[in-house]
Amino acid sequence: MKNDNPLSPHIQIYNWHISSLVSISHRITGIINVIIITLICVWVALLFLGSTNYDLIQNFFGTYFGKFLIVSTVWSFSFQILCEIRHLFWDFGYGFEIRTSNITGILVIFGSIFLTILIFGKNIIL
Amino acid sequence: MVQINLPQNSKVQKGKYYKDTTGSKNIRKVNIYRWDPSSGENPRIDTYEVDMDNCPSKVLDLLNKIKNEIDPSIAYRRSCAHGVCGSCAMNMDGKNGLACTKPHKEIKGDINIYPLPHLKVQKDLIGDLSTLYKQYASVEPWLKVSKKNEEKENLQSVKDRSKLDGLYECIMCACCSTACPSYWWNGDKYLGPAVLLQAYRWIIDSRDEDRKERLKKVADELKLYRCHTIMNCTNACPKGLNPAKAIASIKKMLATS
Repeated sequence: MKNDNPLSPHIQIYNWHISSLVSISHRITGIINVIIITLICVWVALLFLGSTNYDLIQNFFGTYFGKFLIVSTVWSFSFQILCEIRHLFWDFGYGFEIRTSNITGILVIFGSIFLTILIFGKNIIL
Repeated sequence: MVQINLPQNSKVQKGKYYKDTTGSKNIRKVNIYRWDPSSGENPRIDTYEVDMDNCPSKVLDLLNKIKNEIDPSIAYRRSCAHGVCGSCAMNMDGKNGLACTKPHKEIKGDINIYPLPHLKVQKDLIGDLSTLYKQYASVEPWLKVSKKNEEKENLQSVKDRSKLDGLYECIMCACCSTACPSYWWNGDKYLGPAVLLQAYRWIIDSRDEDRKERLKKVADELKLYRCHTIMNCTNACPKGLNPAKAIASIKKMLATS
């Protein structure tokens, strides 16, 4: 039977929680990381073709946009790794209480930023 | 399928405004989702000014007050009024819960009341839960014992009984399932937190003799593994239960058996 009744509002009205926010970011960074890994493979392949390619890419990474890309890549991978660790604990059956999951969620968010800074150190500013 | 936007016939419009007639100084605005099946119009949000000086503490009291004193046409489900029946589950202030146990004092600003998310609306705050009930029936939520054990008393140790704590309290109000984005996008195939918690309640029951079959039935890419531990279910549960943990326990049982 076809039901033409309206659908009640869902994502438009539902509050975001830390857990849902981290979860969707986990998915998005996952997709982005696949694209990034593919690009890195293309980059490495290009290197085999000669030094002009190397210079070209080197110059690109020297620009602000290039640097931004590198920093976001590192953040994206850090976020992904921390999320996966959180998921591992969940798979063992730990950390399902609301309080714990909120704390680990915040840890993932700040941890990913911390890792990014740790990896780059002063290079971010330069 | 993920569809972020609402279909054309579900777009919410601005509705009527009911001004306060009591002259009270303590007024709160209550925005309520309205849809009348006989009108043929899109859903709308009606706004009511409510005199809070003469209103008991819970959101359900607020709704009763509006229905009794301002607008008798508003429709919602309610029965026990103390968090046992699960009838008055709805979305208040962007979060699912039971109207009868949610104090309106906890809500800051205007009070927004919607039906449970991503359901076919039947009228106003009443959503159609028939899919969920069908899924509930599909996990066969009753004790299964072999013929020879039917006659005698079926004993359970204190330890085994304690495994049902945090599961048997579920009142099937559907707050968790309708809070789950996975259930929004795949509600026809994914069982959802409420039904999976019930499935686990029977899987873990020491008296039940059908555990293997139950596990086999639920071990499905769509039925079970659409749970991505978003945790909206646990955050929403008005009884303080943990469907996310129950689902993880099923996954763990499947992985280790």
